Amino acid sequence: MTFRQFAFNNVKRNTRAYLSYFLSCMFAVIVFFMYTVVIFHPQIATYDFMDAVKLGIIVSEIIIYLFSFLFVLYSTAAFIKSRKKEYGILTTLGISKLQLNRMLILENTIIGLVSIFAGILVGTLFTKLFLMIFSFILGTGEVFSFYLSWKAIAITVVLFFIMFEVSSLLVVLTLRTKSIMEVFRGAQAPRKKPRFSWILSILALAAVAYSYYLAYTSDIISITYRMFIILALIIPGTYFLFTQFSIALTSFLKRRKSIFYKQLNLLIISDLTYKLKDNARLLSMVTILSAVAFTSSGVLYGIFQSIEEETERFVPHDFSLIAEGEENKQDFMESIKRVESVFHETNTPFQSLKVPAVKATSVSSSPDWDNVELIAFSYSNYQKMMEVNDQEPPSPIKDDQALLLTQPILSSYIPKTPNKLRFNSGKNQTELEIKTGENTTNATILGNNALIVPDAVFTKFKQSGKQFFYYTAHIPDWMHYTNEIKKAISAVTAPSVFPDSKADTYTKFKKTMSYLFFFGIFISVLFFLAAGSILYFRMYQGIDKDVAYYYSLYRMGLTDKEMRQIATRQLAFLFFLPFLIAVIHAGFAYKALQNMLVSSVFIPSVYIISFYFIVHFINFIFIRNFYLSKLKKTWRASTL
Amino acid sequence: MVELAISLYTKSCQQGGVEMHVLEANNLSKTYGSKRGISYEALHQFNLAVKQGEFIGIMGPSGSGKTTLLNLLSTIDKPSSGQVIINGKTVTSFSRHQLAKFRRKEMGFVFQDFNLLETLTIGENILLPLTLNKIKVKDMTHKLLLITKQLEIDDIIDKRIMEVSGGQMQRAAIARALIHNPSIIFADEPTGNLDSKASLQVMNTLSHLQKHYQTATLVVTHDPFAASFCQRVIFIKDGKLYNEIHQGDNRQSFFEDILNMQSLLGGSIHDLQTVRF
Repeated sequence: MTFRQFAFNNVKRNTRAYLSYFLSCMFAVIVFFMYTVVIFHPQIATYDFMDAVKLGIIVSEIIIYLFSFLFVLYSTAAFIKSRKKEYGILTTLGISKLQLNRMLILENTIIGLVSIFAGILVGTLFTKLFLMIFSFILGTGEVFSFYLSWKAIAITVVLFFIMFEVSSLLVVLTLRTKSIMEVFRGAQAPRKKPRFSWILSILALAAVAYSYYLAYTSDIISITYRMFIILALIIPGTYFLFTQFSIALTSFLKRRKSIFYKQLNLLIISDLTYKLKDNARLLSMVTILSAVAFTSSGVLYGIFQSIEEETERFVPHDFSLIAEGEENKQDFMESIKRVESVFHETNTPFQSLKVPAVKATSVSSSPDWDNVELIAFSYSNYQKMMEVNDQEPPSPIKDDQALLLTQPILSSYIPKTPNKLRFNSGKNQTELEIKTGENTTNATILGNNALIVPDAVFTKFKQSGKQFFYYTAHIPDWMHYTNEIKKAISAVTAPSVFPDSKADTYTKFKKTMSYLFFFGIFISVLFFLAAGSILYFRMYQGIDKDVAYYYSLYRMGLTDKEMRQIATRQLAFLFFLPFLIAVIHAGFAYKALQNMLVSSVFIPSVYIISFYFIVHFINFIFIRNFYLSKLKKTWRASTL
Repeated sequence: MVELAISLYTKSCQQGGVEMHVLEANNLSKTYGSKRGISYEALHQFNLAVKQGEFIGIMGPSGSGKTTLLNLLSTIDKPSSGQVIINGKTVTSFSRHQLAKFRRKEMGFVFQDFNLLETLTIGENILLPLTLNKIKVKDMTHKLLLITKQLEIDDIIDKRIMEVSGGQMQRAAIARALIHNPSIIFADEPTGNLDSKASLQVMNTLSHLQKHYQTATLVVTHDPFAASFCQRVIFIKDGKLYNEIHQGDNRQSFFEDILNMQSLLGGSIHDLQTVRF
């Protein structure tokens, strides 16, 4: 038996022990390979995609690779460290550290190569399905044909081979072989009593609570920097929640003798304390992964669902044209003619209105409100615009009042409007009392807010102020005329006339979102599956210990039913505790999203969470049944 | 002192006349092996009767079938043929579920590797049979105090398994085997993992307590010293009863009898442990 044969036999004859590790590696290969196939697919490479899509695929690929790296590194470390006793035996037989390292790297290389091979094979089987979904979501109309490029295979093999070698090197180098005695004792080393610190438990709770608060009170601007604070707090917070607070909780339960000594509780709680302690790092990782998956898919789905309402908010009028200055009036009138002829030609129903506007500049002692340019409409024209567009009629204003239309979402960033403002329009100056309202026109396209002034004031402004021309067309059912509207927009050729439409914004928004949605959901599901498989492999690794545990209880008279009960409750706890915490984390993230959107994200987020819950639940039932049958089989074998 | 008590007790039992059997094994056989492969009969037509309060040792060379016998008697394993009757109930016809419930009520176990759960404290380990039997928490603490006092481990009930010595662990296991007043205790090599001092202590307390509670006890061992505490030692070889010897007045001479019998059994040199006196 050569050394190589020894390593090979180690793997071959230990299939059961290696299986879970092998499967997790294979899983990473499959996912990576499918994306690589997409990148190198000739039809896709030549397809006229937006650059965003191509970038999306590559970014996803990089995320998957980095994530797989962490995943493989974790699995390798867990696997190699679970075999310490074996190293002890080999050390007594006189294996040198160098030989041991060589053996481990050799073994890992064998497993790595086999899982790359198997991963590519299984990945090939799923590729067709993946391509179908891909072309469906991108709406390419045709299904991409099945094609495997050698480049995809080569890249997967090379990158994963590097990954396996680097991660096994890293693990082997950090593996401290203790003295032989220590290793031997390590196999049955007494587990230390789980301890916790009150201070850390409370700090963990406080960190989580504070990040919840930050998310709850965030808005569209503050979320950009708060996000980092939240992440910096929630990750260690979750970690310590599991390592400290959960132990604190079970210790508390243990002290309540009436609960603790009640039937199976004694066994469930005490064993769970250890399981929680042993798996705390893993569970917090699973929680974070799930929370990221829930949040990103929830946010993406939420935005995706609210595209129409968001379009409505930012582009209140179905179609509009705006031009600045008397000199461009000619172009403006010409553009209207062209647009309306397109509408007539394509039988697009519409009703339109042309209104004059004028630039007004504010004068104020407050620097925030000094010299702010606004587009002023007269109240009667504004009323007409609202009428044409089927919008709610405005509340009346008095002769010395003006209505300032702003974006309420930014309201906390718009300096507080003074009660009264003076306006310069040409040579005239007028002081008006300010009322504020929500933006209802497309006049904001040039970056100015709209101001509604009484008709008399408007006439005064108009005498010497800079002229604006605004055209609005109401197209009921604009969703069905997106192509016609786009055609009308392209008919506007004058550079001084600015068209705007719901249809255009909507389709652009939707297109970008659907790509984001596809990659986002795919990566989220990947994270989520990874979280599930981490739990599963952990169960699989611990099964021998658990069999011994249940066997000693069985001899004392634990029934099969009670064993199932204990195992189910413990598994359920380990499965659904991270899920629950991840849902709460995601819930606050959804609240932060809600603060940025008009439409409710409640229903979409309920959908997303329900979807994940169903997948998780099926996963749980599957793993529970597998675990129980494994337990039963192993102990039936040991009792014969 | 102990010897005297044992001999007196044995005499009283012998004069007692007809007694009910706590455990009866009739024609017990166990065959291992697959359907196609070579089968191996670990136990052949074995008969045994255990009276209430009896303290029986089972000895034999390795591979003689003594652990198989204990597993069959304690219902952990099912015989290929024959029956086991405990307290008048034919347990060999019970279902797995019934057996488990029966075990937790009627049996106590002491194992070579102690079989204490490391996630529990000493006290919680001892209470385990009571929680499985759904006893009220109030009664538990009382019983725990009583039994740990008797075993002199009342000061370590809040300790964890790895914080105590092997002898203390085995005494905790004895406490766990006795706390629910079982009708029979099965001990599998109870001194196998202990040094001579702890062995003496454990066997002393075991024989003392089983006498005190009048609990029938079966000990599988190949340690002649441990066996010398029994009233009766059964020798098995190749799955059959080989011989049976009773303790007389003196434990020292009983111990020597056991040693002689062991060498008679032959091929058991490996099983002979160093004499500890």
